Amino acid sequence: MRKAVIPALLLALPLGAFAADLEEAVDARQGYYSLLGFEMHSLVAMAKGEVEYDAEKAKGHAADMLTLTKYDAAGLFPPGTSKADMPGKTRALPAIWEDPESVQEKGAAFVAAVKDLNEVAGEGRGQLGKAVQDLGGTCKGCHDDYRAEDF
Amino acid sequence: MIRPSAAEDPNFETVRVWDPLIRLFHWALALCVIVAWILGKYGPDVMTLHFYFGYAVLGLLAFRLLWGLVGPANVRVASFVYGPVTVLVYLRQMFRRQPTYRLGHNPIGGFFALVLLTVLMVHAVAGLFVDPEDYINVGPLAHLVSDSLNRKALYWHNTLSWYVLGLAALHVAAIAFYALWKREDLVRPMITGRKQVPKGAAPHN
Repeated sequence: MRKAVIPALLLALPLGAFAADLEEAVDARQGYYSLLGFEMHSLVAMAKGEVEYDAEKAKGHAADMLTLTKYDAAGLFPPGTSKADMPGKTRALPAIWEDPESVQEKGAAFVAAVKDLNEVAGEGRGQLGKAVQDLGGTCKGCHDDYRAEDF
Repeated sequence: MIRPSAAEDPNFETVRVWDPLIRLFHWALALCVIVAWILGKYGPDVMTLHFYFGYAVLGLLAFRLLWGLVGPANVRVASFVYGPVTVLVYLRQMFRRQPTYRLGHNPIGGFFALVLLTVLMVHAVAGLFVDPEDYINVGPLAHLVSDSLNRKALYWHNTLSWYVLGLAALHVAAIAFYALWKREDLVRPMITGRKQVPKGAAPHN
């Protein structure tokens, strides 16, 4: 009896650790998008005129977003971390893992929009607004297809 | 058997059914819902136009609510809410191949109109509270509620869009059923406001 329990425990240990790793990946993923959202929020506030436009600050936020695009987010999406695997924890739809090429494409559109934003962020509120709209559109592109409405 | 055209039949008369404002409301609502729906699913990423048509839908629904209280008799909500017995009796004879010559909603049509308008209202109001976290298509009232409610609003706005589609399809199917099976044209009265009914049929609905 006892002999059977010990190997079972040994097996369960790494599995438990593995599940914790996946949860951490989801936490990190959500942190990554929170960072992007934080920068975006500041830019949108300026574009809308809720906060006074400041070319230096706008360029700073845009540069931060560009820095974030250099982070390889693929590691934040290990298999087993979809909403189907972790209901209540994440809104990431299984479609992300079923259709990686489309996800890549949408990711590339996002990166391109961040680059465009960096070229015009310091050129005044009007240009910033246009670039922020285009960038927001690439957020929507992914959210529509790859993110559930609710947890 | 070929029935004589109602327009030539001396036993028929032309009566007013729908007032001009309710007709304008009906067709404007149909247009705005269709445009907003298509823009919502297939429109540009920046959804400004979807928002405007959505506001128009809300404005039209507000008018309908008002007209349902103080409008002409047959558009008042109280005039087309029937008890379950009346509905069942109507349901039993609904499949007879003959026109009803009613001058307003029939018991099922009235119930259906209430369901459709209510679902549409909930759908449109939910849209006001949606925050899809793209920073450009945020509902105008989204900031008033929690993130959790923003997500619920998004879920219901999306989900009810399919209910609206289904109910609209059912609406059109019912019109086709009346036209083809019961030989009663419900479209023309909604355009001209007039309907041909046997003499004496009006105003007893």
